[in-house]
Amino acid sequence: MKVRIRRYDGQKEWWQDYEVDVKSSDTVLDVLNKIREKQDHTLAFRLSCQMGSCGSCGMVINGLPALACQTRISELKTDSIRIEPLYNYKVIKDLVVDLNEFVNKHRSVKPWIIRKNPEELEEAPIEFKVTPEQNLTFVQFDYCIMCGICLAACPTVAIDPLFLGPQALGQAYRYIADPRDEGFEERIDILDDSHGVWRCHFAGACSYVCPKGVDPAKAIQFLKKEILKYRLLHKKKAATKPAELVEKAPPPNAPKPPPFDFKFEGGV
Amino acid sequence: MRKDIGMETLDYDVAIVGSGLAGLRTAIEVLRRDKGKLGLKVAVISKIYLMRSHSVSAEGGTSAVLYPEEGDSFELMAWDTIKGSDFLADQDAVWRFVHIATQEIRLIERWGVPWNRREDGRIEQRWFGGLSFPRATYAQDKTGFFEMRALYDTLLKYDNWDRFDENFVTSIVIENNEFKGFTAIDLKTGNFRYFRAKAGVIATGGAGQLYRITSMAVSSTGDGYGLAYNAGLPLKDMEFVQFHPTGLVPRGILITEAARGEGAYLINKDGERFMQKYAPSKMELAPRDIVSRAIMKEIMEGKGIYDEKSGLYHVWLDMRHLGKERIEQKLPFIREIGLKYLGIDIVDQPLPIRPTVHYNMGGIHVDIDGKVLDSTGTPVKGLWAAGEAACVSIQGSNRLGSNGTNECLVYGYIVGNDIYNYIEKERPALPSPSQNILTTEEDRIFGKLLGKESGGEDVYEIRDELKDTMEKYVHVYRTGSDLEKAVVKIRELKERYKNIRLTDKSRVFNYNLEHALELGNMLELAEIIARGALLRTESRGAHARLDYPNRDDTNWLKHTIALKGADGPLFSYIPVKITMWKPVARVY
Amino acid sequence: MGEDKKEKRYKTGLLRSLWPYNFNAERYSYTLHRITGVILALYLIAHVFEIYHFALGPVAWEQTIALLGSLGIWEKIGLWIIAGSALYHGANGLRLILNEVFGMLLGKPVLPEYPYTPTSLSRNQKIAIYVILAIVIALWIWAGLYLLEGLGII
Ligand SMILES: Cc1cc2nc3c(=O)[nH]c(=O)nc-3n(C[C@H](O)[C@H](O)[C@H](O)COP(=O)(O)OP(=O)(O)OC[C@H]3O[C@@H](n4cnc5c(N)ncnc54)[C@H](O)[C@@H]3O)c2cc1C
Ligand code: SF4
Ligand code: FES
Repeated sequence: MKVRIRRYDGQKEWWQDYEVDVKSSDTVLDVLNKIREKQDHTLAFRLSCQMGSCGSCGMVINGLPALACQTRISELKTDSIRIEPLYNYKVIKDLVVDLNEFVNKHRSVKPWIIRKNPEELEEAPIEFKVTPEQNLTFVQFDYCIMCGICLAACPTVAIDPLFLGPQALGQAYRYIADPRDEGFEERIDILDDSHGVWRCHFAGACSYVCPKGVDPAKAIQFLKKEILKYRLLHKKKAATKPAELVEKAPPPNAPKPPPFDFKFEGGV
Repeated sequence: MRKDIGMETLDYDVAIVGSGLAGLRTAIEVLRRDKGKLGLKVAVISKIYLMRSHSVSAEGGTSAVLYPEEGDSFELMAWDTIKGSDFLADQDAVWRFVHIATQEIRLIERWGVPWNRREDGRIEQRWFGGLSFPRATYAQDKTGFFEMRALYDTLLKYDNWDRFDENFVTSIVIENNEFKGFTAIDLKTGNFRYFRAKAGVIATGGAGQLYRITSMAVSSTGDGYGLAYNAGLPLKDMEFVQFHPTGLVPRGILITEAARGEGAYLINKDGERFMQKYAPSKMELAPRDIVSRAIMKEIMEGKGIYDEKSGLYHVWLDMRHLGKERIEQKLPFIREIGLKYLGIDIVDQPLPIRPTVHYNMGGIHVDIDGKVLDSTGTPVKGLWAAGEAACVSIQGSNRLGSNGTNECLVYGYIVGNDIYNYIEKERPALPSPSQNILTTEEDRIFGKLLGKESGGEDVYEIRDELKDTMEKYVHVYRTGSDLEKAVVKIRELKERYKNIRLTDKSRVFNYNLEHALELGNMLELAEIIARGALLRTESRGAHARLDYPNRDDTNWLKHTIALKGADGPLFSYIPVKITMWKPVARVY
Repeated sequence: MGEDKKEKRYKTGLLRSLWPYNFNAERYSYTLHRITGVILALYLIAHVFEIYHFALGPVAWEQTIALLGSLGIWEKIGLWIIAGSALYHGANGLRLILNEVFGMLLGKPVLPEYPYTPTSLSRNQKIAIYVILAIVIALWIWAGLYLLEGLGII
């Protein structure tokens, strides 16, 4: 099978063709591995888990951003593969792109649980009650593996590199929708910005390519709604009922071990 | 940032290598304790992006005692862990561990982990192999992933730390039994860096890449073990390599134990639930070593199914009786993996599985606080290890499923606190190593390895041969003659490794160089594992010898310690701490 | 540190942003929405220009009319394109308002299930897009006929 890879070595860019023996069960990542191990040791690409849960191997395969380890050759239904680095990113070498901006955007939306009383996040004996229904309001958005593929698909990122992008906005919604979180008002000024939610015109490309079904486009539209509600009707997020706190007796910190050769009642 | 001798020196109070659950938890604990009091600066270093660490692959669950009122107890969890370890665990450490685990589950709950819940909103738990109470706390079948996300996100909250993504640590600088920092290559630029720190933590995870069929990520090459070993520190119990019973054929992608926790069956060629022969009471939910051995036995007896595409024998994992709804609720990721990689929907077909490499019970020799010990058993000043890279030993000779992620959390907590106390009390100054250590290291990498023009051996060829050797001779069942062959082969590969030449001579993202350095560590480890296994003439937990099928408590109830010698590893042994229960026969 | 190498973004910019090939229907409709938006904006400028001349008095107005008249059939084609743009931009805009302001047509948060089909791009959304297209095209043809009639061709 013919594989065409977009290469870059810091100075020049070029297309390079390889001829690889493939099995139909191989993934694109297997093919790249074969090239790197058997033909060309200089080819650079990222990988780690090989099972679609770490987010390392995002690249553009036959014109569509995808995870290489999740794309089987047989699914492509073509007899040659074209592999490029992710669109909209700076390329450092071959298929390796610079993700620092992406990571910083994620951080800028404060993606952590915020409580009015931060002590509640520190003391061990407390626990939140979250019903399965409440869980459902945000778990989908927690599936994000930070692969950054959605930003490569997004037409808005293509014209505004400062746009926060589907991943960060999706994560902002993930925390806002979390019944344990109380940070909506802290985040709103970051999101309600010309590079924030309002830049999104709902092309849905992010949701289309997301390998984990996170559906960031949905999260962004929900965010817009919540922000409008807040600004126009002065309504704080009512989407999810806040979670209840249960106080539990603290577990004894390493009490005395049981007597030597302690026997369980009834045995185990 | 100060530049001298052509390398960057970066000064930190705490430098943490590895950003898996253990590394992140340690970083958070230091920053959380500190709250700006001492203004500690933390560096988190990882050879891949921080949030991509292998811990994201953990699927099944994290054990902790949450409901003593329903019949669980700390004693019971300790007993399960110790019995599961085939009595090689240090019992004082286990006792401490089971308590902190409870607190950790609640803490990360409040940092955002979406645990599966009971109807009333309390955290739900499920069965896992070798447990006597369903205490595996879980978030679907992506437990580790959600834990990683929560920890990573929570770490972002703090300001006083810097991230070093894609920095490959090449050595630990130790002089006079005192930790003086790490050296690393910044993969993005190819620059050589020296992280000068008052305290260091090694949390580099396991070494699954020694094998061909493995559930572990490509980044799990056991660098931490290699770093410590090359720095003259002892490794403990390395011959115990856990094989997870259910790896998807052909590549070994993990099918979580939770599948069996939810009730899946193991079935051989004749359609028989063969576990009743090996563990009549626990059946499929026996500990991993027992199930792995059972599967290999079935295959050896010709009751496996032959898969033509991969040329491997396997057995079936059957989940059809669970029903679509339960599968979608509890095991969606397993279904996805089946569909994605084999086109098999577990709702109406069984999956082909065989044992796959999963975990290293052994690791860097540490004490109950996670302090790294030297060959005489005294702590190295300023150096800690946590997570899979360390061996306390809680896991003994066989880890129970769902006891890995909580070890990372618990030891992240313990080590973070210990470091904070150390710095608060001793107020150590920044170390100043002798320059020639650093220049020698720089020369080793860039001069002797990257710059070398002679030799013709190829990194990937040697790596392939190493993997095949381990797969063939140092697998679930071992024999003296196989292990001897392995040792000979590994020594040959080590000789050839001296002769490698890199084709990629660039500096930026030179993966060829990274892989060569990893291979160096892997070869050392392989030798330690094979020789340690050859010496241990008994079967215990994950170490099963066909020629010595029984556990031998009179001679072998002890930890193996491996130290680097002039010509391969030197072995010695230290006793196991038995404080609660005497070893008994292990039946399930 | 190693800043000597030039880093540039790969395949980015306006043209890329408007190039939906390989992607989903929503992204095509996004491209159309943007293009029609630009046409309408240009039209608005021209329109203001026209009104301004009307306000300047009869002479200026006569001149403008003459200028438009000299375009001949192109004036009508132009008007037709503008009508189409307005129709599409308006109708699709309504869909986007449903999406963005009221959070409709998006589905609820769900547990993603393999193979992942995002609910925000689900059947409802597609139906909305096709219904809009159908109505817009029908009205657009009608507008075309009306313009042709004005020309006396039919
Ligand atoms: C498929 C799978 C499923 C599992 N499921 C479960 C489960 O259900 N329950 C459970 O309790 N446990 C489970 N485990 C075990 C558990 O996931 C691991 O023990 C645990 O994640 C190890 O975490 P860690 O923090 O020690 O290391 P890792 O998460 O492996 O992280 C290692 C870190 O070290 C870095 N690193 C390594 N070498 C270098 C170097 N030279 N320079 C710089 N950085 C370096 C890496 O980049 C990485 O960040 C599972 C393991 C596997 C393989
Ligand atoms: S939202 Fe989806 S595509 Fe975007 S980074 Fe997360 S997992 Fe990747
Ligand atoms: S290698 Fe981890 S997602 Fe592909």
